[in-house]
Amino acid sequence: MSEKVGIIAYGIYIPRNRITVDEIASIWGEDANEIKSQLQIFEKSVPFPDEDVATMAVEAARNAMKQWGGEAEKIGAIYVGSESHPYAVKPTATIVAAAIGAEGETTAADLEFACKAGTAGMQMCFGLIQSNMIKVGLAIGSDSSQAKPKDPLEYTAGAGSAAFLIGKQDIIAELEGTYSYTSDTPDFWRREGATFPSHGQRFTGMPAYFDHIIKATKGLLEKIDRKPEDYDYVTFHQPNTKFPLRVAKMLGFSKEQIENSLACKYVGNTYSASSMIGFAKILDEAQPGDKVLVTSYGSGAGSDAFSFKITENIEKIRSRSKTVQYYIENKRNISYGLYSRYKGILKV
Amino acid sequence: MEPPKIWRERRERYLGIGIICEDCQKKNFPKTRICPDCGSENVKPYKIAERGTLKYFTQIMNTGDELIFNTPYIVGLVELEDGIKVTAQIVDCDFKELRKGMKLEKTFRVLARNGKEGLIKYGFKFRPI
Repeated sequence: MSEKVGIIAYGIYIPRNRITVDEIASIWGEDANEIKSQLQIFEKSVPFPDEDVATMAVEAARNAMKQWGGEAEKIGAIYVGSESHPYAVKPTATIVAAAIGAEGETTAADLEFACKAGTAGMQMCFGLIQSNMIKVGLAIGSDSSQAKPKDPLEYTAGAGSAAFLIGKQDIIAELEGTYSYTSDTPDFWRREGATFPSHGQRFTGMPAYFDHIIKATKGLLEKIDRKPEDYDYVTFHQPNTKFPLRVAKMLGFSKEQIENSLACKYVGNTYSASSMIGFAKILDEAQPGDKVLVTSYGSGAGSDAFSFKITENIEKIRSRSKTVQYYIENKRNISYGLYSRYKGILKV
Repeated sequence: MEPPKIWRERRERYLGIGIICEDCQKKNFPKTRICPDCGSENVKPYKIAERGTLKYFTQIMNTGDELIFNTPYIVGLVELEDGIKVTAQIVDCDFKELRKGMKLEKTFRVLARNGKEGLIKYGFKFRPI
């Protein structure tokens, strides 16, 4: 790789409401303990009625801006990845641009690739910066996911956002390489105009999540000549806790390498933000010199794998914005009744 | 919820852009073309402070269709760190948790949705720090 590029700042946002697996299971007469032992998720985040993908993306972007301390006018590209954009036509990225003061000379677009649309934006920013087309790029993954009542997804479909500023100056996590694997795999979808997504039940596992993450991760390791034990931290897309733990084991990573990144236990599956929040949680504690591997997964299907080396700059920016742990702890639990109102299942 | 109005007011609502008078130095929000304190037309944009203190508050239980998704909601008078007073919604807390003098910070939320098919109006509200 010619000139160094990397993450220069990051920020996340998770709404304050949580609903527990126990509360949802009690509505449908299901065994909460069995579900918790299967998914290893205890509760999930729920947005307030006045929150959506755009408001969460703005909050995460502002946290990243605060951490960076640079001028918004320097941002040359803004990409917002989501599968729940508030408009079908009218970009979320322009709302973010205006809300952080970056309107004007910049390119912007919304991306959609199920849960990996955010990392697709990161990859685009790395490319634009490495080719000297822009100086700083902003890639956001933001989702307020929908789940049909009683569908197994209802236990995990959460909400959250993560924003990464990418550039060449004052890098906190230097990009060592990236590798993607893509195939036409129909494991999860939502047709135009449909309220809730559908999925292929167990088909979402082996031929989808596991196959793509394994191929992308192995592809990257081979490309940059690394082994799993060379990494201090690893994280994957987190649709539940079981899947990333299992794929880590299949690839030869230890539980210790992945464990601290698993925010999904307490906030659920944040879709486009999921692997990015996992990465942010790692950045909250990583030390200079540490090596981090991140692989996303988006249904439909594809995975983007990234290898990063943490630099000494991480110490300088660390105290400037809220951590993932802050958002995990800043919560209040709500009932299924309030949940159904907030999610629009109960209509007024 | 006409597109031109939403477009014209976006900086005011997203970023809190008011005015500062270059003659009398007074700051004001929302923005006006003429300084409400001295009548000068010599005003320039000014970004209001991010944090403030809750002075007064009330809870709105009933509203029109545009805001019904959000009821009940709290409205407060907030004195910002730069001395400007603004009226805005207070979010991320229950009415019973509110106290006069509470420290608040700006957040970005949906202000109103024009039915199922119309525009969404975004802007700032406040939440406890």
